[in-house]
Amino acid sequence: MKIKTMKNKIVMSLAAVGAALMVSQGVAAEHGAGAAAKGPSTNVAWTPEQLRLVASGDKNRGGQLNRDMFCASCHGDQGVAPTGNWPSLAGQRAEYTFKMLKDYKDGKRHGSATAEIMVQVAQQLSDQDMADLAQFYASFKLPSLPVGVSFDAAKADQAKAVVTRGDGKRLVAPCQACHGPNGEGAVTDTPALAGMPPEYFIKTMHEYKSGARANDVYSRMRLIAKTLSDEEINQMAHYYAGMTAK
Amino acid sequence: MATIHIDPLEKRWIWVVGGIVGLTIGIQVFYAATAAIHPPSNVEVIDSAKLHLGGEFAEDKLGVKKEADGSYTVTMVAARYGFYPQSIEVPANTPVKLRIASLDVLHGLHVPYSNMNVMVVPGYVSEVHTQFTNAGDFPMICNEYCGLGHDYMYAKVHVTGGKS
Amino acid sequence: MSITAEQAASLAAASRGGASAVVAHGNKLGLWGMWVAFLALLLGLPMGLYQAAERSGFFPGIENTAVYFASTSTHGVLLAFVLTTFFAMGFGWHTMAHTLGKKPFFGWLGFWTSVIGTAMAAAVLLTGQASVLYTFYPPEMAHPLFYIGAVLLVVGSWMWVADMIIGFTQWRKENPGKPVPLVMFGTTINAMMWGWTSLGVASEALFQLVPVSLGLMPTLDPGLARTLFSWTLHAIVYFWLIPAYIVMYTILPKEAGGKLFSDEMARVAFVMLFIFSVPIGFHHLYMDPQQAAGWKLLHMFGTFMVAVPTFITGFTVLASLEVAGRLRGGKGLFGWIGALDWGNPIVVAGMLALVMLTAGGWGGVINASYSMDAMVHNTQWVTGHFHLIFGGTTVIMYLAGAYWLWPRITGKELYSRKLAVAQIWMYAVGMITLTAPWHMLGIYFQPRRVSYTDQYAAFPEWAQTWGPYEAVMIVGATIIVLSGILFVYNLFMTHFNKTPAANTKVEYAVAIHEPMRVPNILNSLSFWNWAMLAYMIVSYGYPILQFAFIGTPGVVPWGY
Repeated sequence: MKIKTMKNKIVMSLAAVGAALMVSQGVAAEHGAGAAAKGPSTNVAWTPEQLRLVASGDKNRGGQLNRDMFCASCHGDQGVAPTGNWPSLAGQRAEYTFKMLKDYKDGKRHGSATAEIMVQVAQQLSDQDMADLAQFYASFKLPSLPVGVSFDAAKADQAKAVVTRGDGKRLVAPCQACHGPNGEGAVTDTPALAGMPPEYFIKTMHEYKSGARANDVYSRMRLIAKTLSDEEINQMAHYYAGMTAK
Repeated sequence: MATIHIDPLEKRWIWVVGGIVGLTIGIQVFYAATAAIHPPSNVEVIDSAKLHLGGEFAEDKLGVKKEADGSYTVTMVAARYGFYPQSIEVPANTPVKLRIASLDVLHGLHVPYSNMNVMVVPGYVSEVHTQFTNAGDFPMICNEYCGLGHDYMYAKVHVTGGKS
Repeated sequence: MSITAEQAASLAAASRGGASAVVAHGNKLGLWGMWVAFLALLLGLPMGLYQAAERSGFFPGIENTAVYFASTSTHGVLLAFVLTTFFAMGFGWHTMAHTLGKKPFFGWLGFWTSVIGTAMAAAVLLTGQASVLYTFYPPEMAHPLFYIGAVLLVVGSWMWVADMIIGFTQWRKENPGKPVPLVMFGTTINAMMWGWTSLGVASEALFQLVPVSLGLMPTLDPGLARTLFSWTLHAIVYFWLIPAYIVMYTILPKEAGGKLFSDEMARVAFVMLFIFSVPIGFHHLYMDPQQAAGWKLLHMFGTFMVAVPTFITGFTVLASLEVAGRLRGGKGLFGWIGALDWGNPIVVAGMLALVMLTAGGWGGVINASYSMDAMVHNTQWVTGHFHLIFGGTTVIMYLAGAYWLWPRITGKELYSRKLAVAQIWMYAVGMITLTAPWHMLGIYFQPRRVSYTDQYAAFPEWAQTWGPYEAVMIVGATIIVLSGILFVYNLFMTHFNKTPAANTKVEYAVAIHEPMRVPNILNSLSFWNWAMLAYMIVSYGYPILQFAFIGTPGVVPWGY
């Protein structure tokens, strides 16, 4: 996409963002209870063609997009969020980032105010743009916490049992079995969680718990989140937040 | 061509062995032919990456369905690390057909105290025909190594009616 | 018929057991091959103990799933691939030098190729980068060095296969009409069989696993991969078992003080093992969707046929031991058992191996069953079975073979005969203690390849039956590890023993009716190779070809 065309798109997206912020209040109220869109939870399927597309992303172009599309204002110049209520994307698995952008564009992820912003942003992105951005964020190492955000080591410790050993009674596998022993995520699209700001982690898990977020295939995360207490979610948030702290 | 010398006792033993082998093969061929006792072998391909996009294994199609002839069809997906749906209910002493596919890697599904035991190979649909004779709650375990969460992968089946 | 002076010299040297170059070369290759095998044993056994302890749940401090599966993968590769291949190679090189007076064509090149492959695979296994178990079923993908290392291990073994076949063929040309010594006939049949069966896993590795793990191919068909692997998966256990049978037929009867009951029936057993071991792999795929029931039924017939040579071996070996017992004065129906030389570790191993073979063999009959496999597939019954039959029957005869070979290769007396006898008893007792409860766990439907058992907390009545069996298994595993250490210690100390060996003659058991001639079919490979080709086309032809047209959408690789 040429720069001139992109700048036009940016102006349009800024306007769209403003509109979205106004509209999203009402939208959130309507979708908040988890009325998922019809059809599959996501249109993304990990066929070899899809994987090839994501792998072909150009991280330099992605860096340019990060600046020009103002992604950096929420997600940081290098994928580390400036405040605790946005997710850091540094070191995130490219397939996951790509899928999220696609899900936003297809309306599979929506509902909250911030989700609606992303839905509007994603409309501006082609599949190649998404792949480029995904590779850009993936090129960094896992993020440290945003400035001013800290984690509670005591809470983190309490999460260890479920994170490392799961809970057979609730049919919950250990978080680390999918998300990795260092919170780095895993093939193909299981996201990295290390260094995630606790506030964002908690928000996400509650969205799964209520069904407001419904882009997980076969409801895998929704089913798990439903079995977890708020206290456990809180502890896990601090566990993962603290993973990249030295 | 030279002939070989076989001790008469060893000759007798070879006849006994032949009898054992013949008997075991015969019993199994008999039950295969008359009682349709076969291992699950349907050779049906499917695109594992696209299971959720639509078709037989779409998210809203999973679960237990009663057929017109009174039998039950159970449609499931194996995806790290769970079986979906996580819990099903079927009646005892009724023909049950399980159809299951994998979203990712090799899995296995086994219900203890029954003969429902099948490999779930990505790229293929597995189909098992069985009847549960015992009522109660049973695990549906993954019995093929599918990664570091394999230990925790199991679902539940509640069998109603019949004997406990 | 006259032989050349060269042939006369090498034959004379071979029978002298003296310091001729061929014999020295064969001794060294044999020794080095077997030391690699037994070092793999020493490393692999404690991993098994760790796994039994970790899984039991009695030691929360050691519980770690990632370590468990790295251990299981390494334990499996070391004991199922490294111990076995290197023992077969070492024993084979030694046998060929002493019975045929021939130097191997590849020799050290094969040895080092396999060593390098093993080292590559071990490096990634031990660092947790290849926790895909010794069966490495795709689409789980390990580090490419694992697959490349495995390929090199197999390529080195192919060089050994060539060594055996070339030596065998040359000897037969030079000795037309003469029966190949039984020990070499068995060794060459085993080599030939390994050549045929390893093609399956080699194809899977070369055409699927290596390219996909390197990113050169985007997808593979797991159904095809499992079918190719099944080609290797059953016969490989006979590749492991035949050297044990060779020890039972050609070393054990003489050590027991008797004669081999029948040379010809031993040959019949070897050729039956050859032809019926490879084209029967589908009993490993009974529960798989990608092969039709008819093919599975066909493979079942062959699977039961391959039980026949084991029944024959059991009879012949037991009869040979009875002859020995009676020659030593044993009277009555069972009196000969007590009359055997229970102070000889090889005799003790032989008797205990037969006990374990009987129990393990019946377990195998259940696993082979088309109709019954649904009850045991992928439960711990299977794992208990192969630990008994392989870890027990087969490996104990490797230990016995080593006790026989070490004095003859090193020229030194075995460090301690008493220790050897005690070690063999410990090993068998440990193995039976380990595997008996293991079979019970399978009957109680504990699944394979789980690193814990308390995750089934939702079904406590079922999962809690397992505890006592796990406890007994830990005891068995501990005994095995200790006996393994004593075994290696004994061999190691033999090298430094000051007492020269009383008997360094490499002489094999003599049959009651030593054949002057045997039918060509029991003395050559060509008929059996054609038979194998025909049988493989029937058993595996269509089942593999079908993958070219059933249109399986390719599956992308995943981690673990």
